[in-house]
Parts: sequence; C-alpha cells; structure tokens
Amino acid sequence: MDEEKTMEIDKKSFWYSEWSFPILVGIMSAGVFAGTHMYFVYNVGAFNEVAIVAMLKAGMDGGSYGAAAAFGASFLFARILEGSLVGILDLGGSILTGVGIGIPAILLSIGWKAPITNFTLSITTGLVLGLIIGGIITLVRKYTINQSNATFGADVMMGAGNSSGRFLGPLIIISATTASIPIGIGSVIGAVIFYLWKKPIAGGAILGAMIFGAFFPVSLK
Amino acid sequence: MTILVILLKSILIGGLVGFAAGMGAARMFNAPTVQALGAFRTLGEMNACEGDPASHFSFGLGFFFNAWASTVGAGAFTQDVTHRVIPNWAASVLLLKDKKVENTVHNPKKMAIAGAIIGIIVVSFLNTTASAIPKSLQVTAVKVLVPAAELLINIVMPIIFWLSAIDAGRRSGLWATIFGGLSAMIMGNAVPGVVLGILIGKGVDELGWVRITKVMFGAVIVLFVLSAFFRGFDIQMIESFKLQVPSFITNMHNVFNIK
Repeated sequence: MDEEKTMEIDKKSFWYSEWSFPILVGIMSAGVFAGTHMYFVYNVGAFNEVAIVAMLKAGMDGGSYGAAAAFGASFLFARILEGSLVGILDLGGSILTGVGIGIPAILLSIGWKAPITNFTLSITTGLVLGLIIGGIITLVRKYTINQSNATFGADVMMGAGNSSGRFLGPLIIISATTASIPIGIGSVIGAVIFYLWKKPIAGGAILGAMIFGAFFPVSLK
Repeated sequence: MTILVILLKSILIGGLVGFAAGMGAARMFNAPTVQALGAFRTLGEMNACEGDPASHFSFGLGFFFNAWASTVGAGAFTQDVTHRVIPNWAASVLLLKDKKVENTVHNPKKMAIAGAIIGIIVVSFLNTTASAIPKSLQVTAVKVLVPAAELLINIVMPIIFWLSAIDAGRRSGLWATIFGGLSAMIMGNAVPGVVLGILIGKGVDELGWVRITKVMFGAVIVLFVLSAFFRGFDIQMIESFKLQVPSFITNMHNVFNIK
C-alpha cells in the first residue's frame, strides 16, 4: 500500500532498521545450521565449499573436529568485528563457515550431537546463534558508527564498489580465451551481441562461453 | 520416503536462507548506514550486471552449474548459492517487472520475498537431483567464471578500493595503505583492510580523534591482532624471518586447538 514511499529509506521499518538485523542473521543462521544437519544426516546440503566441508567430514569420519572448529570459530570472530565496522557482515566467513562449520564442529567435538542430528533443534540452535551474533554487531555499532553523524566514507566505498563491477565483463572474456579457443570465440561473440544490444557484456560473455563449451568441450586438467 | 523428507526440509531451509540472502543483499546497497548481510564480492558482481535481468540471470546460472556439480559430487553447495545464485536470480526476476533498481534490487522487502522463492527452488533442486549434470557446462563454468571472479575479488576490487581511498584524501589513503597491506598478508584479501582504512581516515577527517574514532581504531587493531593469531600468521611471520618461534607462542596456539 505504501509503494510510493519505497524510494526513500525508512530506517524505522523492519526492512531497513538496526533492530531487525539480529532477526535477519537469525533466519540466515537457522537455514545454514539446518543445512549442516542435512549434510550430517543425508550427506547432502551443506552450504559451503567442498574444501571447508571436507574439514567437517574429517571429523565425522572419526578423525578430529579440531581443524573445522578452529578454522570456523576464528573466521566467525574476525567477521563479527569487521562486519560491524564496515556495514556488511560477510556471509561466507561469519555464517556459512562460522555457524555452519565451526560451531557444529565444536559441539560435535564435545559429544553434543543432538543440535545437529535433530532437525527442529538444528533450526532453533541456528536461530539463537544468529540472534546472538546479530545482537553483538548491533551493539558494537551502537557505540561506534551510530553515535555520530559522520558517514565514515560511505560514498567512497559505494563509488569503488560500483566501479569495480565494470571489470567483470572483460575479465570473463580474458578468462574464457585462456580456457580454449572455441570458448574464447563464444564469449567474444556473446559479449559483442550484448554490447550492441546495450546490455552489460558480462552476461553475454558467460552465455557465449557456455554454449560454445557445450559443443566443443574441454577437460578440467 | 527419505527423498520426501529431504524435499520438505529443503523447502524450509531454502525459504529461510533465500529470504535472508535476498534481504541482506538489498541492504548492502544502503551500507554502511544500514547494517547488511552479504559480501563485497556480491555487491561488486551485482553492480556489474547493471540492473539488466539477462545479465543477472546468466551470471547466477554459471555459478548454479558449479554449485550443482559440487553438490552431486560432494554434497556441498559452494558458497556461491548464497553469494551469487540467490541474490542475482532474485534481482533478475524482480527486474523483469520493474527496471528501476531503486525499486527492486535495492528494496529489502522485495528481494527477501523473491529470494525466498528462488531459495526454495534452488535448495530443493540441489538436494534432490543426485543425477548427472551436463559435464561440459560445469567444466566451462569452472574454467571461465571461477578465474574471472578470483581476479575480480583478489586483484581488481582491492586496487579500485585502494585508488578511491587515495583519491579521497591523504588520511584515508594513508590508513588504507597500511591496513590494506596488512589485510592482504593476514586475511588474504586487501579489501577489508582498505575499507577499514577509509572508515578510519574519513572518520577522523569528519570528527577528529574523538572517542568514537579512537574506539574504532582500537577495534581495528584488535581485529588484526586476533585474526593474525587465529590464522597462525604470527608463527608464519617469525619463521619467514628465519627466527626461532618462542615456545610460549606455540603453547598459546595449542590452548586454542580443540582436539
């Protein structure tokens, strides 16, 4: 109903407010922690890279959970502090690795299996962990960024973020040309079509590379 | 029977993760005044698609094949599901209806709802399809997209942020250089350090060395010291200088190694 107001940011509303942040982190953590439950029980569904999940797997196979626990917990710690300062909590380091791998590994290493093996309990555990993490960040921000009217260079960071994106298209073409000649040709054709069509060339470069890659496959090694 | 249980659980998990990933990503466009959940790489890559639905979709698609292959092979989704597939596909769907990014991609409410739907579909699909995927598509995605994204994140983004910091004033340039270099060594990527440098530099420009900036400066130092310790940077550094690692440092590390 208030569609006209979406242009200006209402910092009191759920969608933009400081208080909703812990809830946001809670929802994400609940899903990710339950994803680890899926992996533990069904061997599918962990939200992380193969290499990181492998550390948890090492513990599950009877080895030590030490690597996964130390790796995950240290990531989580660093990201909480960094996230509150820069305004973007790194999802990969904090939630996927910290909550999804590190904390389950700690719990499993002390023999506390229930929060991981029981689905409902896994969602609840994740939710609580996320609420705590989001709460800490909101608290840290309260005593730093939010106490003043300074923007702390937000414009500089946004400007840099915007301009760095433009590099992706050319990078994809360069990367495609090193994969194989047909894939390189495909990505150039795709990029040219998108450019003439007045669209960002990154999308065309990927599609062109994949289409040519399907007809002229390369091997990974 | 098991497949049905997996499907039902996947729907719930996908909905939760998709909702949060969409909402967190939209809030990134309003950071740091609004605390967001996402990543600088997601921000940079979404900006690269310039609000074009086809570009958002194909960028997500490339990483979807990668995630699919990884799930079929090892049961692991790859971080790309939350960092790239869900945010870009949610953006793509919303942009089909309204081209204005301010109304769609930057709107946490719309992105949360679109993200939840995409999340349900993607997670259910990944968890239930253990069958083979076209191998050639997976290989192309891995050989083309992964190196390009790595170059963007490890080389291009740090440099762009660094140059912006230098152009933004002597103080932000100085701190960005110090923290950026340290962060590249300790954390493996210079972007967090450069951003913290801009934060401190511009904070001091605007407020001076008052309590808030001092607290933040202290927090940054603590962040660097702790990440260095937990990543074993202290031991590596001492060894690289060809010195003996004092036993108390090794002992301290052993305390935190959970067996």
